[in-house]
Amino acid sequence: MAKDIGKPIFDLFLVVASAIGFYMATTLPAVSMAGGLTPATFPKLISGLIFVCAVPCLIRDYYEWLAARRMRGEKTAPNATPSKQGILQWLTIVALIIVYINFFERLGYIVSTAIFCFLNVVCLVMTSGEFQKLSNRRKLRNLAAYTVFAFALSLVIYYVFTELFNIPLPD
Amino acid sequence: MLTGYIDGLGLVFQFGTLLAIAGGTFLGIIMGVLPGLTSAMAIALLLPVTFGMPPVMGIGMLLGTLCGAGASGSIPAILLNIPGTPSSVATTFDGFPMAQKGEAGRALGLAIVASFFGGVASMVVLSLLAPPIAEFALRFGAAEYFSLSIFGLVIIASVAGKSLLKGLIAGLIGFFCSTIGTDPIAGVDRFTFGQLSLLTGINLLPALIGLFAVSQVLKDAFEYDPSSKLQSSAHKVDIARPRFIETLRNWRALLVGIVSGSVVGPVPGAGGSIASLVAYDQARRFSKTPEKFGKGHGAGIVSVESANNALLGGALIPTLALGIPGEAATAVLLGGLMIQGVTPGPMLFESQGGIIYGIFLAYLVANFFMLIIMCLGIKLFVRVLLVPRKQLISAIIVFCFIGVYGVDGDVFNLYIMLAFGLLGYFLNRYGFGTAPVILGLILGPIAESNLRRGLQTFGGDWTPFFTRPISVTFLIIALGLLALTLWQNYRTRQQDSASGAT
Repeated sequence: MAKDIGKPIFDLFLVVASAIGFYMATTLPAVSMAGGLTPATFPKLISGLIFVCAVPCLIRDYYEWLAARRMRGEKTAPNATPSKQGILQWLTIVALIIVYINFFERLGYIVSTAIFCFLNVVCLVMTSGEFQKLSNRRKLRNLAAYTVFAFALSLVIYYVFTELFNIPLPD
Repeated sequence: MLTGYIDGLGLVFQFGTLLAIAGGTFLGIIMGVLPGLTSAMAIALLLPVTFGMPPVMGIGMLLGTLCGAGASGSIPAILLNIPGTPSSVATTFDGFPMAQKGEAGRALGLAIVASFFGGVASMVVLSLLAPPIAEFALRFGAAEYFSLSIFGLVIIASVAGKSLLKGLIAGLIGFFCSTIGTDPIAGVDRFTFGQLSLLTGINLLPALIGLFAVSQVLKDAFEYDPSSKLQSSAHKVDIARPRFIETLRNWRALLVGIVSGSVVGPVPGAGGSIASLVAYDQARRFSKTPEKFGKGHGAGIVSVESANNALLGGALIPTLALGIPGEAATAVLLGGLMIQGVTPGPMLFESQGGIIYGIFLAYLVANFFMLIIMCLGIKLFVRVLLVPRKQLISAIIVFCFIGVYGVDGDVFNLYIMLAFGLLGYFLNRYGFGTAPVILGLILGPIAESNLRRGLQTFGGDWTPFFTRPISVTFLIIALGLLALTLWQNYRTRQQDSASGAT
């Protein structure tokens, strides 16, 4: 049974996105070709099919979610909704990846990668509560280890890929 | 064919190529050991390494990865009762009990040799079946290619997602994404929003890496829990000696595994878990001592592991002969072939015979490397399980960046990768699956251009799509499988509601 409200929300997203896709396809120039199909036909057909398939999914998942909610009373099961910690970890890594992309060329591969790796590990241990359980001395030792890991990884990978495999990376 | 093999031998037996195959196999084994890291992800991550390589060397490396990952899932399955890959689930049935009896080395030795025999047998099946299928496919015209792409999509959609509808939606999303860029017939820009990077359409590599690697990393980040540490094996494993004699003594189970893997392999979407479970079940039926299964019986391990690797060669048949991948790992491999400039399909055997036979031989060599590396490095691979997840997540993201940026140095592709990563994360989370998306991306242009070209040729008449024998056969089989899946889903639901009522 669908217990996660995210399921019907994602279905709704698909319904809306396919409707937008269909609308955008209708605005494509109608270049008439022999055989009758225009550049808009295929995208219109596909987005229309996605819409047609996504609507029953939305209805089913929504009613399954409602039924599961009713069965368990007002409160959903502990595993019904994603944990706040999980969401925080997920959002942190997505945000870090976006920042990493933005600074990838500006700071160069080695610096941006080292900073990303360091922040990624630190954010994960912070958001998961792993770091808070450690003594101050251990915290410092771990931070030093994460720094070494971040720089070592970025340096090794940089030289392996640029020198061995001739893959150009931003300097 | 013989000339093709001779040319292929020359391409494979070069130091660089052998090294690449060995390296790919080694990395594939490491990836296969880590639960959650799939062979599809391993291939996606290794793709950038193969850019500068000649086709046989690059594809050989990827095949080595596929072969290594297929075999090494048995290591955590036997030692820790954690299947490294979904196809190793059945290995836990007898592997872990055998390890608990203090025979971990024996279990690993059997698994390695059975995987080797399975892999070699599947290479024979692949090399025998792929050329005639490709030759048959030379008769295909626009109508047949259109129907074939619909057939491929329907099949993978019916098995990849948790429901047929969701699998279809995932495939259609791939189809829609494939329409982005300049229209192949009229040259009109579609959904490019003035972005130059989108003019040539969505690059396959960022989509592949996003769907299979970034989505997995996002899942790992979401589920990251420092308290759930991976345990180290309590079993003593000095060296896993290959058990050739004992494996051959279990010839019945070995044969059942090879046949199951070879039969299930070419069926699009069937996957390793089905092949191994079928093999296990059949081996028990054919066994004189079925009561021993599940209690640490060698035949159980042999049947499952030989099926796992026998499946890989079978899965390559439709991929190479028709350009239609059967499941996620071969879909990624197909992307790798295309990036290498090798276009799978019937013409491959005609135009690039040396390369294709080189690929067959590379797969055979990969199996030998798998046998050697697994036997020598077993202790190291067990230790791989202890790599902290938080560092692994960072390293995987860094590899993803290199892979995507390395293609053409375009930062925009990194955003495409992230977008597909997010899409893949939600598609997996809500039961849609990601394999149909990539298949849709690959098959979309084939379907659209052949549909439009066909209609131009037939003067706007749709009937040849439904009257030409090969075309209509594909459509009928696709429809039949759709109906069968719907019927199975209906039955499952009925059974679920019946069991819920009692």
